[in-house]
Amino acid sequence: MDIKFQIPAADDFLTAALGITVVMATLALIAVFILLISKIIRIIEGKAKKAEADTKPAPAPAGVPMPSGMNNGEVDLIGVDEKTAAVIMAIVSQQSEIPLNRLSFKSIKLIDDGKKGGEA
Amino acid sequence: MEMVKDALLTLVRESGFALLTWQEGVMLLVSFLLLFLAIVKKFEPLLLVPIAFGIMLANLPGAGLMDDPAGIMTELAEGATRAHWYENGVLRLIYAGVKSSIFPCLIFLGIGAMTDFGPLLANPISLLLGAAAQLGVYVAFLLARTFGFTVYEAASIGIIGGADGPTAIFLTGKLAPDLLAPIAVAAYSYMALIPLIQPPIMKALTTEKERKVEMKQLRKVSKAEKIIFPVVVAVLCAFLIPSCASLIGMLMFGNLLKECGVTDRLSDVAQNALTNIVTIMLGLTVGATANGAIFLQLKTILIIVLGLTAFSFSTAGGVLLGKLLYLVTGGKINPLIGAAGVSAVPMAARVAQVEGRKYNPTNFLLMHAMGPNVAGVIGSAVAAGFLLSMFG
Repeated sequence: MDIKFQIPAADDFLTAALGITVVMATLALIAVFILLISKIIRIIEGKAKKAEADTKPAPAPAGVPMPSGMNNGEVDLIGVDEKTAAVIMAIVSQQSEIPLNRLSFKSIKLIDDGKKGGEA
Repeated sequence: MEMVKDALLTLVRESGFALLTWQEGVMLLVSFLLLFLAIVKKFEPLLLVPIAFGIMLANLPGAGLMDDPAGIMTELAEGATRAHWYENGVLRLIYAGVKSSIFPCLIFLGIGAMTDFGPLLANPISLLLGAAAQLGVYVAFLLARTFGFTVYEAASIGIIGGADGPTAIFLTGKLAPDLLAPIAVAAYSYMALIPLIQPPIMKALTTEKERKVEMKQLRKVSKAEKIIFPVVVAVLCAFLIPSCASLIGMLMFGNLLKECGVTDRLSDVAQNALTNIVTIMLGLTVGATANGAIFLQLKTILIIVLGLTAFSFSTAGGVLLGKLLYLVTGGKINPLIGAAGVSAVPMAARVAQVEGRKYNPTNFLLMHAMGPNVAGVIGSAVAAGFLLSMFG
């Protein structure tokens, strides 16, 4: 190939400009669709959860949530070190899908057969 | 005695030592160098090892592994008799998978099955970053035209900026198959060099305050959203740009296998066995297209330089849009995640994470960067589809 410098034709500039515009527009459109779909799904899931909650007995008042990442009150640790207790609280929070700042642990104690137990 | 002498002379005349051309010799050395880089320096070894070995096999003198006496993919010499297809070299036969786009599409299927689009769904604005990071594709296209490349070659060189190997191979196989080897080698080499290429650009284009921005935790994405997403994207993209349907369609099909929860076995095969098998054949045959007579030209060096330019501009495009979003959102978006819009998954996202932590050790950008990162895969496929619809 002989290397020869040439100014790209107007068509080339047009192609490049059109190209980046098409990519931006396509991905922006997908973003809009995602927003719409997630909104619709959240509305539907919200309604389903509300309906489910209506059929269950009302839970005890939750109280004012603590700031994110904080836990309500002191926890009595019996035969459990703080690190293990933190892991247990994180697991309970994840499994129950209740944020830690809305959970109140009273105690976590090691039970006789070697397993750890506690009450939330 | 005479017969023995003739036989020995024939053996010597037909040996590789006698048939070796200087181009083949240089290509063998290139293949050894690439093997060294892949095995010792760990440069994208899963792809560079097959590519390098393919280069080596195709340049063994007299072996004819890429011969095409059937004239299926190359022009036959005048007066030459057309052979049967099965008389072609073995690598030429396997190469049909590249030429027909089967391999790149199957790789996209595997990528889809491996990709979690959750971060993208949680923060759809990531898609814009993935789109902006295709800037290098078009800058390199214009530069390639400046250097006198044809529009087909320029489009194939530009797509290196998408930082997506299968997409680059897909487009080049269709528009400029002669350039397949240098473009694939450039694309995969630069993907391996992302931790070296991107940080200086990210640093140059952002302020320390911007780099320190902590982003709020992403929301949890529901399973329904994850299942609907691939279907919507496949349909939408195919409606808008039909030429990208094969890549996006396979990507999204793979993702649906992963997310729908009822095809675990298929998802497992797509992620592992299928991807590995296709990677072997794709790498080997792409490397085998590195014919010394074509590869050892000035334009190969130009392709390497233009590829680096494409990568750099793509990174810059993502970071600059990140800066814009930082301003628009009142400082809620860290512009570093824009650099992850080049689609080298997950390397580019890791670079954003590492760079972010350098300036704010408590920062955790990885999941935020994964959004633009996977958006870049879609963006590069759309960019390739656009170029194919223009020049294909």
